Amino acid sequence: MSFYAIGKRTARKDSVAKVTGWEKYASDIYLPNMLHARVLKSPFPHAIVKKIDTSRAEEMGAIVVTFKDVPDKLFCPRLVSTPDATYKDWKVLTDKPKFVGEPIAAVAAETEELAQIALESINVEYELLEPVFDALESMKEGKPRIHDKIMLNDKIIDIENNVACRLELQEGDLEEAFKRSDIIIEREFRTSRGYHNQLEPKVAVVNPEPDGGLTIWCTTQTIHNTRLLISEIFNIPVSKINVKKLALGGGFGSSIQTNIVVPIAVALALKARRPVRLAYTKEEDMHEHSSYQMIFRLKIGVTRDGKLTGGFMENIMDIGAHQIQAYPLLGTCAGWWVSLYKLQAIKYVGVAIYTNKIPSCAYRGYGNPQVTWAVETIMDELAEMLGMDPIEFRLKNYVGERDLFWGQGPTVKSIIKSCGVEEILKKGSELIGWKNRPKPGEQKGRFRRGIGMARGYHTSSAGAPIPSQVIDYSGAILKVNEDGTVDYITGLVDQGGGTLEAHAKIIAEELGLPLKNVNIVAADSQTTIYDVCTHASRGVYAGGGAALNVARQVKEKIFKLASTILNAYPHTLRIRPDEERGQAVIYVEGLPGKEITLGELATLARIKNLGTIAAVDSFRPPACPPHFTGYFVEVLVDTETGIVKPLKVVIGADVGTVINPDLAEGQLHGGFIMGWSRAILEDLKYNEEIGDIECRGFIIDYKMPTAADIPEEIKTFFVETYEPTGPFGAKGLGEGAQNPAIAAISNAIYNATGVRFYELPITPEKLLEKLKEKEGRKLAVEDAVKLT
Amino acid sequence: MVKVQTEPNATLLDVLREELRISSVKRGCEVGECGACTVLIDGKPVNSCLILAPKVEGRSILTVEGLTRNDELHPLQESFIEEFALQCGYCTPGVLLTAKALLDLKPSPTIEEIKEALSGNICRCGAYQEIINAILKTSRKLQGKSD
Repeated sequence: MSFYAIGKRTARKDSVAKVTGWEKYASDIYLPNMLHARVLKSPFPHAIVKKIDTSRAEEMGAIVVTFKDVPDKLFCPRLVSTPDATYKDWKVLTDKPKFVGEPIAAVAAETEELAQIALESINVEYELLEPVFDALESMKEGKPRIHDKIMLNDKIIDIENNVACRLELQEGDLEEAFKRSDIIIEREFRTSRGYHNQLEPKVAVVNPEPDGGLTIWCTTQTIHNTRLLISEIFNIPVSKINVKKLALGGGFGSSIQTNIVVPIAVALALKARRPVRLAYTKEEDMHEHSSYQMIFRLKIGVTRDGKLTGGFMENIMDIGAHQIQAYPLLGTCAGWWVSLYKLQAIKYVGVAIYTNKIPSCAYRGYGNPQVTWAVETIMDELAEMLGMDPIEFRLKNYVGERDLFWGQGPTVKSIIKSCGVEEILKKGSELIGWKNRPKPGEQKGRFRRGIGMARGYHTSSAGAPIPSQVIDYSGAILKVNEDGTVDYITGLVDQGGGTLEAHAKIIAEELGLPLKNVNIVAADSQTTIYDVCTHASRGVYAGGGAALNVARQVKEKIFKLASTILNAYPHTLRIRPDEERGQAVIYVEGLPGKEITLGELATLARIKNLGTIAAVDSFRPPACPPHFTGYFVEVLVDTETGIVKPLKVVIGADVGTVINPDLAEGQLHGGFIMGWSRAILEDLKYNEEIGDIECRGFIIDYKMPTAADIPEEIKTFFVETYEPTGPFGAKGLGEGAQNPAIAAISNAIYNATGVRFYELPITPEKLLEKLKEKEGRKLAVEDAVKLT
Repeated sequence: MVKVQTEPNATLLDVLREELRISSVKRGCEVGECGACTVLIDGKPVNSCLILAPKVEGRSILTVEGLTRNDELHPLQESFIEEFALQCGYCTPGVLLTAKALLDLKPSPTIEEIKEALSGNICRCGAYQEIINAILKTSRKLQGKSD
């Protein structure tokens, strides 16, 4: 298919604002007469506030709110699931802190410094409770109870053994499947706990309006769910709350939920009747959210000829002190597992466990990178046991075209209609030199090279043919201006990947518009229709679907109007971009002169009182098509220091039609570096003695990749497929861009050293330890110690 | 030339953002690790969160606003746009200034030198490859070499 706008290399519309510093983020919003807020957070991981004295702060003139001043109501900050699947255990401020960093009180004053001084004058008496930090410990009988009662939708439920929620699934006869297996492999995997480190710390600016409503500027991936939640907590009519859409300084999942700074700032603004700004520091941000830590037990059977039979998966998730919708994650983890390879029988047990840690939320991939790491490690092992080529083994078993795909847990499924897996694996293996890769573990010497691969995917949206437990639809407004441009108004937030650029191209393509004529205009929750959230790699597929939907309706209206003016039948009209005139031109094929530019048409429509050409509509994606990726990684392992370096990385992707090739490539580059970090570097370790994260919130002690960590060579390619349910054949990419990275890196390290890793991250210390175990040799460090 | 009265303990970042409302200087980690608040002091890249404002009295400070002359983008800004060297954009002003300081010092840097210069600027979206390409391209542009 040939396109005019789609697939072309064009500058991002927001790039001038971003390179000149004009772009406005929530942290750049300052209002006149604004107060500044600070939050008093628990220094203890598990405690009860016995007494709190805020009188000195109030004497200083500060506005103070404690748990006594906020609605005594449990809520869930993430509103992506339907109410029946939403567990609520949060309060805006609490008198029973469950992790170091949990907000207890907040103050607002004329300056941030005064607010801090007021905050420090608050006296709190705590009764300390025994904390529990390990999920496996926490679920044992007799351990301290972190929550007694929480709510599921509008029902109160009891929490036993710190089990926040659970999900069990079973399909087929697993016993029989294992019986006819020639090999059954069983492994346990433990992932790390990561911190998103979106560069912009969480911030909220709240302005109380005279009608009792609120205007809110905040870091968020969803303006509409933010206003719904604030309405729910504070009992303010939803129509009176307006959440502004701004640029977001990175999200990676950390702002799917409404950040806690928002309701706290709302509570202060309502009390002060003045605008309030609450900006978390990085240290505070690091105590606000983290990723989930998961322990998987995975058992998979295979026959001698390399056909997978069935599998069992246990997923114990350490979710920290509160639920940010852990329940749907239990479902997606099952889905990511069963949608990788065909298993005739499955059993899945997922349990989410409370611990006294920072609450966990979605982090790029929503469990998929972790599950893919475990499954792809096992696939590598099984291939070796069977004496099969790992790629051939995968091709024999993968879930592909015409198979059922679980896009967002067991209630979101659709049939795969586009799939480029074979081509990705074929081309990727050629580009990396798969055939010439070393034999696992055969190398000697200090430096060892290894090549590993892994494949994966992610869903594109949580759309499905039938309603599910996940809300997924987008909405858009499109109107034609008298200068021949169109205003595109959407509530969908761009996390930075350039989602809205793709929408602009989709609209330009449909309407035959020069790309510059599509204006992405400022928007807020009052002037847009509902969009669920930017998550689940849905921006281009679902959001783009909504853009195409309104563009089609606008096109129909354009033709209808032009048909009267050009005196031609609407269905004989065509539209094309005229770059010279900088306009879309509506014309009758074969009849020169029978044409009108879109600007002229819109102007005539105004003068003749025919109305504005515009459309507004919601769009529900009919499916959740997977976008597929394959990673091929060559590493160099220094067996004396344990340091691993990426030498060459090849990433192939099937995203359907590629709308923005450069931005798509950028997703793959960014996906690799984040995956590398999760494989090798990042771990938000807890120090149980202090009950806090080891780094105490200082990113100096939380190492992240810099420019120096990128591979010497990185090659990306896109295979051609067309997704029939996507806008112009497109699918998503943001998460699949990263998902198989950890597994490929881990498999490459195995190829180089012969050592398998079942725990992340693969730090130099762990690598040296494992090498020592395997090779029984002394480490260079020990020799050095002996010499001194 | 700007005159500001400031507290002795105010950081340069505080003064630039809160007093002068230059919001291109981004607040990131505030401990000198992420580089989002990078400015050039007398041509050298500095984390403005680590410098006390009174220390820079009489010195020249460049923020990304100063890269543009008469509405014309600096070649670095152009290259960043052309090479898609930004995603969320939060690190971009700081990265641009680090890159400017590098190119002023070394008009033809090697890739290794670029990586080293950028080691204080975290781009969590991971656009490092594109950023390096944009800096190399600018270097060629500034020396009159065509692509």
